[in-house]
Amino acid sequence: MNALAIEAEGLVKQYRGRTGTVDAVRGVDLSVAAGEVFGFLGPNGAGKSTTVRMLTTLLTITSGTARVAGIDVTADPDAVRRRIGVALQEAGLDPRQTGRELIELQARLFGSSAAEAAQRADELLDLVELSEAADRRIKGYSGGMKRRLDLASALVHRPEVLFLDEPTTGLDPASRLGVWDEVRRINQRGTTVFLTTQYLEEADALCERLAIIDGGRIVRAGTPASLKAELRTRLGLASDPTLDEVFLDATGRTRERAAGEVQEVGA
Amino acid sequence: MSALVQTELLGRRAIRESLRTPEALAPTLFIPVFFLVVNFGQAGRIFPSDSTPFLYGQTYAAFQLPSSLLLAASFGSAALYLVEDIEGGYFDKLRAAPVSRSALVLGRLIAEGAKTALLTAALIVIALPFGVTIASGPAGLVLLLVLTSLWGMVFAGFMQLIALKTRSAAATNSGGLVFFPLLFLTPNFVPRELLTRPMEIAATFNPVTYVMEALRSLILQDLQWDVLARGFAVVAAFGALMLFLNLRLVRRYD
Repeated sequence: MNALAIEAEGLVKQYRGRTGTVDAVRGVDLSVAAGEVFGFLGPNGAGKSTTVRMLTTLLTITSGTARVAGIDVTADPDAVRRRIGVALQEAGLDPRQTGRELIELQARLFGSSAAEAAQRADELLDLVELSEAADRRIKGYSGGMKRRLDLASALVHRPEVLFLDEPTTGLDPASRLGVWDEVRRINQRGTTVFLTTQYLEEADALCERLAIIDGGRIVRAGTPASLKAELRTRLGLASDPTLDEVFLDATGRTRERAAGEVQEVGA
Repeated sequence: MSALVQTELLGRRAIRESLRTPEALAPTLFIPVFFLVVNFGQAGRIFPSDSTPFLYGQTYAAFQLPSSLLLAASFGSAALYLVEDIEGGYFDKLRAAPVSRSALVLGRLIAEGAKTALLTAALIVIALPFGVTIASGPAGLVLLLVLTSLWGMVFAGFMQLIALKTRSAAATNSGGLVFFPLLFLTPNFVPRELLTRPMEIAATFNPVTYVMEALRSLILQDLQWDVLARGFAVVAAFGALMLFLNLRLVRRYD
């Protein structure tokens, strides 16, 4: 595996609409080491999902370069797709299929034989504790079950890099903790995890390093501890600030202004 | 994995999706049957089989059956399922996998073709009590199933274009209504030579006319190769166009 799982330089995404050009991402540089859990934070509309969609080949890159698992995203998107797992913000599931059918189909599309796909589905459904619900249609699943199934479907081909875009949004605290456990387990098996989240405590609990994006630009990057230490030193605080305070400082938001944008949760 | 296998996998999934939504399948059978019964009921006595040359000895229901077949083939429900996939994020899940872009397009279209073949067979069975027979024999029956299914794929391709472009169920649904003027600007009630001049000109420029005439020839007459060639040429040309446009749109989908 390449030493860097994700590298991006000067990543830009512009949308052209009737009212003019919108700069969604304005030159993002990223480097994520293989095997780490990297957090990507930012308020709504900051450019998190747009960045993830470019890195996962779902959006074209206006300018700049991105390499995932050592492969240029623009030059060889199919090779990138074979090495990444993706669980996007809205759990991308087909409600008319059963959990087992969905995983098996995903495994087949990644090149497994029917027998291999069936075996992999058993393993993954067991991993995310959905074996009992495996033969029920997905439309009857709870939000937490859907998230776990989405996660399982992103793992069918044992990806080198796993992109999780707000994987716990809308989940109750118990389900959120369940997803955290899964993320840790997946990472322990050697998979690099690129996690976007609005939940600062989630980033603090899971991520070795993180970057904060605001207005389409990276405004802070480092380990949670180093970011807290930097703010403590800069502001001359008596104790380490919380990651919430780092976030608010980085994005220039006050608690009042951020109330509708960033949710602070305790799982 | 080859694009062919991926197309088959996605096609099977689309068929499963249709079978699990019988409430969406029912109107595609009921409405064409309704039109067949009502049109036959209203005009059957105006065009008696023994004194109407263009019926070739069959009832007026046989003349009307192609309209119902084309209507059944033109619901394009595949495109509405595609919009659901787009809105629900499943389409992105497939796009983020190493799935051939042609399989993404063709999987649904082939499933739509298979579904149309089943609907066509059901409509033919339903039409039998109205005195309809397939005059072109077993070979003609197969051609009838194939041509209607191909038309179903062409129209579903058109609807998929709207779905991919607008990503909106409302817009896609409205787009399907385009078929109604196309259906009525054909020799729908009488042969082309009996239409008024403006209608005849409109029908001549309408590609659906040639598919309808080919289907009708299979029901009323022995195999008419020249008529069939025109019908198949229309579906081939529009099929190629729809495939090209769909693939271009999926590859540029952002």
